Amino acid sequence: MKTKMINTIFLGLTLAVALIGCKKDDDLVPLPNPIVNEQELITTMKLTLIDSSDAANIRTATFRDPDGDGGVSYDLFDTIRLEPAKTWYVSILLLNETAAPIDTISNEVLEEANDHLICFSPGGNSATVLITDVDGNSFPIGLQSKWKTTSSGLGTMQIELKHQPGIKNGTCGVGETDIDILFPVKIQ
Amino acid sequence: MIKLIQLFILLMPLITVAQVDSLSQKCTSSLSGKILDDHDRSGLAIATIAILEIQKKTISNEEGNYLITNLCDGVYTIKVTHQGCDTILQKVTVLGHTIQNFYPEHHAELLRTVSVIAERPLDQTTQTKNEVSIEKLNQSKGMSLGDALKSVPGVTTLNTGSSISKPIIHGLHSNRILILNNGIRQEGQQWGVEHSPEIDPFIAGKLTVIKGANSVRYGSDAIAGVILVDSKPLRDSVGINGEINTIGTTNGRGGTVSAYLDGNFKKLRPLSWRIQGTLKQNGTLSAPNYYMINTGLKESNFSYTLQWKKPLYGAEIFYSQFNTKLGIFGASHIGNLTDLQRAFDSPVPLETGGFTYAINRPNQNVEHELLKARFYFRTRDVGKLSIIYARQYNLRYEYDKNSPLNDSLAALNQHDLQFEITSHTADIIWEHHTVKHFTGSIGISGITQGNTYEGRALIPNFRNYSGGVFLIERWKKKRLEIEGGVRYDYKWLRIYKYEYVGTSNYELISPIHQFENVSGNFGAIFKKDSTLNFSINFGSAWRAPSVSELYSDGLHHGAAAMEFGNRNLQTEIAYTGIFTIRYSPSKKLFIEVSPYYNYIANFIYRQPTEAPILTIRGAFPGFNYAQANAVLKGCDVYANYHLFKSVEITAKGSLLRAWNKTQNNWLIMMPADRIETEITYRFKNGKKISHSYVSASALFVNKQWRVEPNVDFAPPPPAYFLLNMHASCAIQVANQHIELGVSVTNLLNTSYRDYMDQFRYFTDALGRNISFRIKVPFNTSFKN
Repeated sequence: MKTKMINTIFLGLTLAVALIGCKKDDDLVPLPNPIVNEQELITTMKLTLIDSSDAANIRTATFRDPDGDGGVSYDLFDTIRLEPAKTWYVSILLLNETAAPIDTISNEVLEEANDHLICFSPGGNSATVLITDVDGNSFPIGLQSKWKTTSSGLGTMQIELKHQPGIKNGTCGVGETDIDILFPVKIQ
Repeated sequence: MIKLIQLFILLMPLITVAQVDSLSQKCTSSLSGKILDDHDRSGLAIATIAILEIQKKTISNEEGNYLITNLCDGVYTIKVTHQGCDTILQKVTVLGHTIQNFYPEHHAELLRTVSVIAERPLDQTTQTKNEVSIEKLNQSKGMSLGDALKSVPGVTTLNTGSSISKPIIHGLHSNRILILNNGIRQEGQQWGVEHSPEIDPFIAGKLTVIKGANSVRYGSDAIAGVILVDSKPLRDSVGINGEINTIGTTNGRGGTVSAYLDGNFKKLRPLSWRIQGTLKQNGTLSAPNYYMINTGLKESNFSYTLQWKKPLYGAEIFYSQFNTKLGIFGASHIGNLTDLQRAFDSPVPLETGGFTYAINRPNQNVEHELLKARFYFRTRDVGKLSIIYARQYNLRYEYDKNSPLNDSLAALNQHDLQFEITSHTADIIWEHHTVKHFTGSIGISGITQGNTYEGRALIPNFRNYSGGVFLIERWKKKRLEIEGGVRYDYKWLRIYKYEYVGTSNYELISPIHQFENVSGNFGAIFKKDSTLNFSINFGSAWRAPSVSELYSDGLHHGAAAMEFGNRNLQTEIAYTGIFTIRYSPSKKLFIEVSPYYNYIANFIYRQPTEAPILTIRGAFPGFNYAQANAVLKGCDVYANYHLFKSVEITAKGSLLRAWNKTQNNWLIMMPADRIETEITYRFKNGKKISHSYVSASALFVNKQWRVEPNVDFAPPPPAYFLLNMHASCAIQVANQHIELGVSVTNLLNTSYRDYMDQFRYFTDALGRNISFRIKVPFNTSFKN
């Protein structure tokens, strides 16, 4: 009799701890949520280049990887085509086209300008770049710039977005690289 | 060495037993009782009853009665031996004329307590099996499970910085090793190199490594071997005992406290219980010349065990919970290959900082739960039936280095990745006792798993069912033992994944994969005499490709690589042969040599893509999962020599050659050859101080020369040499033996990088660390 009671107590106790012990059970695999990409994926970089001597002369160049890293590859990768011996006002637009509505990442870069820098590295027959916008600490940002072309020819323009939280010092040598695109440049 | 360890293990229970001074008291008490068969309660004649403390002995008469007279009151350890039965070791309180019956039984399984102490691992299986010695287990207290296993020859670790460490057996790791926590397959996100096993090392009373392919007993995946993490047996006798371990480390200014409490009440003899818990924390760790920022760690674990033990049946509940939050070395998260090159070229990490206990991004937050229930019944006199059910729940959060640009999103401090996996396993095993020299078991096991993710799509959701049946028989006669087993498994896997179909549209796919395989095992041990024995084992194991190998797609942060899964991967099958010679011509010398050959058909590995993959972050090297036939062969050596009575020298080494036969090149990420020697001086046991020793060890790890050019971002780091020291003693304070220990690792504060460390591109390995350990046991026995 006594043993029976003890047995019952033991069984009850076991069940109780087993039940208390377990956390919620997500056993049945639900369908995954529709793709939630990185919270701030950058799919697209679009350059708008305006001729300083003729505001109607507008050029654009775009790099786009429609689903971000991995998956399908880029579907737009333009050559920057400019005319020689001219000054161009250049603005950069960064987009996340996987979001609906499309998210303008460059606005967020601007909001956190103190932590970001866009670096330009021309190669071959390209353009010289002067960044025209500055952050709260008077360091350059790079969303707005002035490009000067000289002669005709072929070259490249490497554009990098550096994330430099708390360490921005105006140089490209610090921080992590969020964007790195090497655009071909054709001046004719 | 083995003998000494055995002696040490034998002496362990005695440490807590009250010492009895027989000369100073008038001793008139006695101990008497019956030795009864645990099955039918008949008296057992000619059983030996020995009191270990005072080395008194007697033999039971024909009715099973025994009597020992002229005893002092006190607690004694009684050892009861009877032919064909397991030895019983039990603490008994003698107070006046005390009566105590003992119930030896014929089978090893029920009294695992005893079989662990009494049996040599050699007697259990023909497989090459190495146990981590108690001494090494103590030295590794406060470190990770991987570090604790490193003392076994052939076992190394795969590290991601200093806080994440995974065991490697014969060059293979992660999904190719099976870890059994108290008999249950550890199921988490093992595929990730930066996902360390979620087990509190303090749970382990015993750590065993079984080398070689072995699917038959433990199920698929054991391509390289099996690691057994077993708790200490619960107490059999009435009373309460426990232990508090306190550890402090200088590197990272860390502290660990772990304690357990075991008990068995007089009014409820069949019930034994244990509660156990561990708290651990450390701050920023340091390499010899700088702090490695954001390497703090916090861990809190607890477990309990309840066991109901009757002669004919029993039950056990085990529950454990593991929680950790660990920082990932900040300078290791990089944007692209240029960043990686910059990090690698810099003599110090690109980011350094001071000491802090705070854990920032990037970091991991993991919890793991295990609930196990085990029931067993005697099936008359022929065998035993065990039913084991377990549920595991693993929740892992990973936080990237940078929080979102958007302030409102950043304020939420959301994880970038979350994995959640729940596994249910069930095993039914029937073991039969020796019949005409045969013993064996037959079993059936099943598992079901559900996995979900949130955040970045690294691996998809999936559900998986698998099951297997096995049969193992062992024939043993005199000096020869032969073992064979066969198993069949089936696995069903269904994936749920959104795939990009263009113009910002995703489509759900849910393919089904099925895998099945038969595996086998055959082995033999021949004991020529007490000085020499040979064992040989041939085994096969298989592994279904993991979901990450089938479906991973995208950028691997921190590794700066794009990985593409391959949906057509086939089952990977390993065939291993291991031969082991153990030679001990005298008590002074013990040598174990164990060469092995592991042929893996359809070995899954990462094959670099022809061109780098262009993304908005720049170009990345791409890797496709591919299959090839591979051979991993090598040799483990262990030797122990007693130079003098108090001085012993131990040497161990391991060699490994891993070759891709299809591509005709070396397999990458294989541990380099290594050798370690240790010299130990043991002091004589004094009146108050015992088990004292000092040891110094030297580890040499060669450069990994066998690497194909241009498959890695950087050449393998050079060879390195490390010195370590350990010292320990036990001090008797009021009948308890308090153990003190101190260990110094990387004594010379050498700057080095290990090839098997994922962070070798970014930082040196851990600098000098001094750890102090105090173990305070306590024991209260009640009158039976």
